[in-house]
Amino acid sequence: MEHLPEMHLQHPATVEEAVKLHAAAPASRYLAGGSDLLVNIRRGIERPDSLVYLNGIAELHTITDGLEQISIGGAVTLRELAESQLLRKPFSAVAQAAGKVAGPSHREYGTLGGNLCLDTRCVFYNQSEWWRAANNYCLKYRGDICHVAPGGKKCFAAFSGDVAPALLLFDAEVELAGPDGRRRIALAALYRNDGMDHLTMTRGELLVAVHVPKIPAPVRTGYAKSRVRGSIDFPLAGVAVRLGLQDEKIADLRIGLTGVSPLPFLVRGLDKFVGRKPDDACLEELREVVRGQAKAMKTTLTPPHYRRRVAGALAQKLAESIF
Amino acid sequence: MNKMIPSRSIGVPKPLIDGPEKMTGKAMFAADFQAVDALVGRILRSPVAHASIVAIDTSKAEALPGVRAVVTEADCSNNHGVLPIAMNEWALARHRVRYRGEPVAAVAAVDVATAQRALDLIEVTYEELPAYFTAAEARAEGAMVLHDDKPGNIEREVEFDLGDVDAGMAAADLVREMDFHCAEVCQAQMEPHAAFAEYDAARERLTIRPSTQVPFYVHKMLARVMGMPESHIRVIKPHIGGGFGCRTETLQSDLIAGLLARKARGTVKLVLSREETFITHRGRPETHIKMKVGMKKDGTITAVDFSAQQRGGAYSGYGIVTILYAGSLIYGIYDIVSARFKGYRVLTNTPPCGAFRGHGTVKTRFAFENLIDGMATELGLDPFAVRRANLLVAPTMTENDLLVNSYGLDQCLDWAEKASGWKQRKGKMGPNKGLGMACSHYISGASKPKHWTGEPHATIHLRVDWDASITLLTGAAEIGQGSSTVMAQCVAETLGVDMGRIRVVAADSALTPKDNGSYSSRVTFMVGNASIDAAQNLKALLIAAAARKLEIAPEDVECLGEVYRGGQQDQGLTFEEVVMEALTGEGTLAVKGTYDTIPESWGGRKYRGAAIGGTMAFSYAAQVVEVTVDPDTAEITVNKVWVAHDCGKALNPLAVEGQVQGSVWMGMGQAMSEETRFHEGLPLHANMLDYRVPTIIESPPIEVGIIEANDPHGPFGAKEAGEGSLTGFLPALTNAVADAVGVRATELPLTPDRLLELLEKKARDERAGVSVSGKLA
Repeated sequence: MEHLPEMHLQHPATVEEAVKLHAAAPASRYLAGGSDLLVNIRRGIERPDSLVYLNGIAELHTITDGLEQISIGGAVTLRELAESQLLRKPFSAVAQAAGKVAGPSHREYGTLGGNLCLDTRCVFYNQSEWWRAANNYCLKYRGDICHVAPGGKKCFAAFSGDVAPALLLFDAEVELAGPDGRRRIALAALYRNDGMDHLTMTRGELLVAVHVPKIPAPVRTGYAKSRVRGSIDFPLAGVAVRLGLQDEKIADLRIGLTGVSPLPFLVRGLDKFVGRKPDDACLEELREVVRGQAKAMKTTLTPPHYRRRVAGALAQKLAESIF
Repeated sequence: MNKMIPSRSIGVPKPLIDGPEKMTGKAMFAADFQAVDALVGRILRSPVAHASIVAIDTSKAEALPGVRAVVTEADCSNNHGVLPIAMNEWALARHRVRYRGEPVAAVAAVDVATAQRALDLIEVTYEELPAYFTAAEARAEGAMVLHDDKPGNIEREVEFDLGDVDAGMAAADLVREMDFHCAEVCQAQMEPHAAFAEYDAARERLTIRPSTQVPFYVHKMLARVMGMPESHIRVIKPHIGGGFGCRTETLQSDLIAGLLARKARGTVKLVLSREETFITHRGRPETHIKMKVGMKKDGTITAVDFSAQQRGGAYSGYGIVTILYAGSLIYGIYDIVSARFKGYRVLTNTPPCGAFRGHGTVKTRFAFENLIDGMATELGLDPFAVRRANLLVAPTMTENDLLVNSYGLDQCLDWAEKASGWKQRKGKMGPNKGLGMACSHYISGASKPKHWTGEPHATIHLRVDWDASITLLTGAAEIGQGSSTVMAQCVAETLGVDMGRIRVVAADSALTPKDNGSYSSRVTFMVGNASIDAAQNLKALLIAAAARKLEIAPEDVECLGEVYRGGQQDQGLTFEEVVMEALTGEGTLAVKGTYDTIPESWGGRKYRGAAIGGTMAFSYAAQVVEVTVDPDTAEITVNKVWVAHDCGKALNPLAVEGQVQGSVWMGMGQAMSEETRFHEGLPLHANMLDYRVPTIIESPPIEVGIIEANDPHGPFGAKEAGEGSLTGFLPALTNAVADAVGVRATELPLTPDRLLELLEKKARDERAGVSVSGKLA
């Protein structure tokens, strides 16, 4: 591990104070769990001179069970999320995803906001400064070449948070606070398909809370994650499935994917499964649809072929096992 | 009052004697040492894989306030290397760099930020040369040589042809040949490399605490590279966070710490990052193996014809020894009547490989045990029966002149077969579940040391003073494997005293006798025997003293450990009383014990390098692995492992169990998920996320059966316990997967993506109507 440079650490008590402190320093970053940011700072990927520490802000730690929505503060830890009684059926996918992030110690520190705003990852990017310099850097950082797809001008660094695809199943919204006040946008709108700049947040914005609308229909959800090891690893592919049956036929179907592109997204074209019986043929077809949209690139040591294939397989297994 | 029976220490489960320090965090590792004036050392590494160094300009770095020393190859008096016949490495690259990350210069500064700024100010001009990242590229016609004295980039070509292989193949009922490929693996030990070096400028002396398995080699190489008298260097081994072979040679970081401390005329702490530790490498080479075996219908092996090509990396290191082991240790486990081997150790522009737990044997054994498992299936034989058809009978000498004096493989097989329920369960596991088995063996130390000087193989000092404590002084490096504990046990058992009476002082060159170090599983055998010898010598002195005091003949003294007496009616003398008598007129007792191997164990002369493989005793292991394969994701779950290990007398059954479990677990990582990967010579894997060591989630229950086929020369009959069980896991896993899903993996690690490809190919073949029912390609 490379050494940690000296930085100012700020301790705001409110969201508004945090935003103000962030704006006051030219190169500041918000810090919550730090399990991703501090590693990136040590590697020289991030070079802030000031860190605005969010964990002292009470508002960010609350989980509220509202009439129409569940609201989860941005600094709620992944362990708290995984263990939350509010995130039982039909929100199981969210708790399951949080419980599958990294290892137990990471989940003790890591936060919901951190996982949703996780930087995109690539084997050519998540390396030391010496390494990246020796490799002439890359599109995402200081360079002008993509080592994943040489010749291309698009960055394929993969979004690797586990919780986002689960929240996408529920039309969740995120509440952001920034120099211009607060705003609420769909979680899907937080992301764009660009590994270099995958978050639509503007400079100085922080993620205050996630609002998950309650759903009336009797649907079930789950999250499955492919990784070489059962702990620590980021997803090679992560799949969240939402399935509702009526008269033994599919009435509601959504699938969220992560780890296979620069943003988490809902699989398109699932309408054609509505009204069908979830039999073997149907689920095989589903598997192929998911596989076709999981366009993983060579951003991990595990080859893309496997990640595409396993995304489909996990979707099929989840859909089979949820009911 | 007086305890009337000798204390037993051997064969008793004993917690390791350095456990309390480690459990409470008091143990000091190299990076834990502090000094008020300690400088921070950092290394500038080559960004290119192969280049001439045209110029190095350190003037700006030297001028930076806070920088106390900048060193380059100009500060080195000599090159270095672990094998006296193959020294070609420089602590800091001389005129040429040969892999990405090779140290080029280093700085010592008042703090880490200054040290980093200084590195950025060093200007190196490179003229790039063609680089080769695979053995095949490096061997290709017209390839530029990495070292002028190594034509064709061949570090060493090994060849032997013993017995009549062609006749053996002709006499076989079944001959099969397969290609195998095993990825390069790293030890990934817990502690990154570090060294704490103090230079006494007034006296021109160096004291260094390096994270090493071989303090003696570090001592020798520091003197050679720094041009210092050996007597002016003191090497103190601190606690070590694992080694597994990557620290069995002097690393550049050990030498650079010394060079920086001298130039700064002060104290330097050099701690490598995890990435730098991976770049330093010294792991197991990527290897291609061709293996051909002839077998009779009853499983008898008639001939073995095999070859191995290892990608050795940029410098010689242990390379010659590794490729020799890859050939010679086809022997020593089964009755092999004829074998032909061709081995190539190749120099490439990647970090140098080294001696990894199971040195040289692992990949050959994987290929062999994998191939014969498939042949057993073809012949309709049980895999256990095939092994039993080829057992050795000890004592014997193998065809390549390896001494086998004790042999417990038959008992290992019996235990593993029974414990795993093999007979009842094999073939009835249900879909996607399988059982596989394999055997392995390993040496108990190389019988002929690399630095042959005529000294005994091991020396132990025991000191006894007026307080009646026994201080055991040993050069052997405790690296977490329990060597200090085992020596204390040997001495305590021989004297019959409680282990609490013994204090072990280990591996401080100013205090302890020289020892070659902790590698090739030599310590228990060699140093254990020296400990017994020393304790016997001490006991003779104590008995003589007791005889004087009791006024009886020495042969009439009965030694009960804490009591020495003349007869059953005699109340006897306490240990303290005996010691006081022994000190009378003598002063503090200092006794010595030594051990030497016997010439019969020194290996053969039938081919060049045939001595490599020679050992006093072999350990044996047999293991059964049970797996479940997910057919959709191709993920393998290891449900359980049953492993029997013949270590001769288990001196400390608790430590043996830990070593065997650790070996199996390490083999599991290599078999299933660990591998190095390079992008044009840059390590993509140099962190703990991308180098995939198994986590506790993947770790199965490992049931250990200790088999004690005592060796006549071993300390109390003991043999090696820390390496032999690693190897068997790899083929046992692929054999289990073959049993579960009908595909035979020849490429390691067997990651889900590799297994998925095999499963997809099988499905395609089945659709195309190709028969794949257990037939080998």
